[in-house]
Amino acid sequence: MFLTPEIIAIYILNALFLVFGFFAFIISIKIVKSWDISLTSPTQYKLEKEAILASTIIKYIFILKIPLFLFFIFTSDKVSAVLTGAMCAAGVVNSVGFGMWLVVFKIVNLFIFGFWLALHATDMKDEKLSLTKLKFYIFIPAFFLLVAEILYEVLFFSSLDITRIVSCCGAIFSAASSSSISFVFTLSQSTTIVAFYLSFLLLLLGWFLKKEALFLFANILFFIVALFSLILFFGTYIYELPTHKCPFCFLQKDYYFIGYLLYITLFMGTLSGVNGSVLTIIKPNYSQSFYKTSLIFISIYTFIVSVYPVLFYIKNGVWL
Amino acid sequence: MIECKNLTKIFKDTTVLNQVNFTCKKGELIVLKGASGSGKSTLLSLIAGLAKPTSGEVIVEAKQISKMADNFVSLYRRENIGFIFQKYNLISTLSVYNNIITPLIPSNPDEKKLNTRVDELLKMLFMESKKDMIVKNLSGGEQQRVVIARALINNPSIIIADEPTANLDTKLSLDFIEIVKKLKNKNRAIIIATHDPLFFDLDFCDRVVEMRDGRCF
Repeated sequence: MFLTPEIIAIYILNALFLVFGFFAFIISIKIVKSWDISLTSPTQYKLEKEAILASTIIKYIFILKIPLFLFFIFTSDKVSAVLTGAMCAAGVVNSVGFGMWLVVFKIVNLFIFGFWLALHATDMKDEKLSLTKLKFYIFIPAFFLLVAEILYEVLFFSSLDITRIVSCCGAIFSAASSSSISFVFTLSQSTTIVAFYLSFLLLLLGWFLKKEALFLFANILFFIVALFSLILFFGTYIYELPTHKCPFCFLQKDYYFIGYLLYITLFMGTLSGVNGSVLTIIKPNYSQSFYKTSLIFISIYTFIVSVYPVLFYIKNGVWL
Repeated sequence: MIECKNLTKIFKDTTVLNQVNFTCKKGELIVLKGASGSGKSTLLSLIAGLAKPTSGEVIVEAKQISKMADNFVSLYRRENIGFIFQKYNLISTLSVYNNIITPLIPSNPDEKKLNTRVDELLKMLFMESKKDMIVKNLSGGEQQRVVIARALINNPSIIIADEPTANLDTKLSLDFIEIVKKLKNKNRAIIIATHDPLFFDLDFCDRVVEMRDGRCF
């Protein structure tokens, strides 16, 4: 088994998440089965107390899981130093068959965990705790996703083989590669850019019309298109290399860790948009401030990625 | 105003309150009497939202306090309840002024208005000259008046006092009763839990409720 201080830290946190998460899971089942806020029975009061405990546990697990995603990438990036052939986290992630899917799975989980946190925050503002049962309903499948992610993560790190030569990101992120995301590179660059700015306009339209279903769709679309366009187009301007299409290298010091800022703003923007839209559908009097939060983050993201090609053009007089 | 329905509180295997039904109207002064361990303090804690019942409900002005989430109960306490604790619970190293304003700190009130309100309360309690004194340097009776001022700073509609005269001599207890009389005239609901006989024959007291073995009689 290959271990570094970062991997050990991830294992310890995962073990804690499993123990505490399981405890919260048991309470969740009890709440889903017996919760009835109108009752004044001993069982209901006991459940209300347990709900506070379980919510607090889940809240902190999910809050920690968000930066831990970046820590996972950071760890993979560090591990690349000992894996022959790997230049960044991409080589490490791709060295295990399901590595890229683990990253995708983690991103999906981040949205689910983020949604749960928003639901919990809304429930805490409701005097009648009207969302408590729903919150724990959602936690039950979320717990299985959490367990699955932890198991995959452990399996991933234990499958790393430092004696094996792996591919670098240049080889993985190209149309010729056989990696799990090679289909992305069959997309045309110009189509991706047009799709990127159109999806941004769609977001603005959703905000202007205050249509939460449209805004939800636009956010999901923007997230996917933003990732593709970052890999296919904007990333090349960050690297100033038309052939380099890695979504991990710009997380390194050489690129002033700009990737962290990009991913954080993209995630925060789309998460608040998705959460706000869904919560407005569930609870029609939900605060409309999420439109603003979402658009601020997404606009920052759009501005930063757009600046790179413009600056490159100003400096060099050509496009890549 | 306050309605307790079938209120039961069990601590481990001990039933402290057993199916208690209790009401208190606006402007009413109720004295809860009973021996130690009869459930007086527990009943007050449940009305103030400091604890949750095992079963039953506490309704204050149509709001079910016992079913509220903790953050809402805190807000309810801050806006509606003035609690006079038996053991004072003052911060001994702070001044009289700072102790009095403590309950309002989370709501970030206007300093000028707060100052005026503290002056009013201290005047009513004959404590104007003690405003900047450190609480630990005050006598027992003075500390108790600080506790009263702290309980009244939020202008509460309900005043709850748990054994307020337990640490006072007869003269100071009579002073306290005078203050209670003034408060009653201001149309507040007042509930006093005590086993001090001075309270049982007050002419301005609306009801004396006896508590025994976790029940009201």
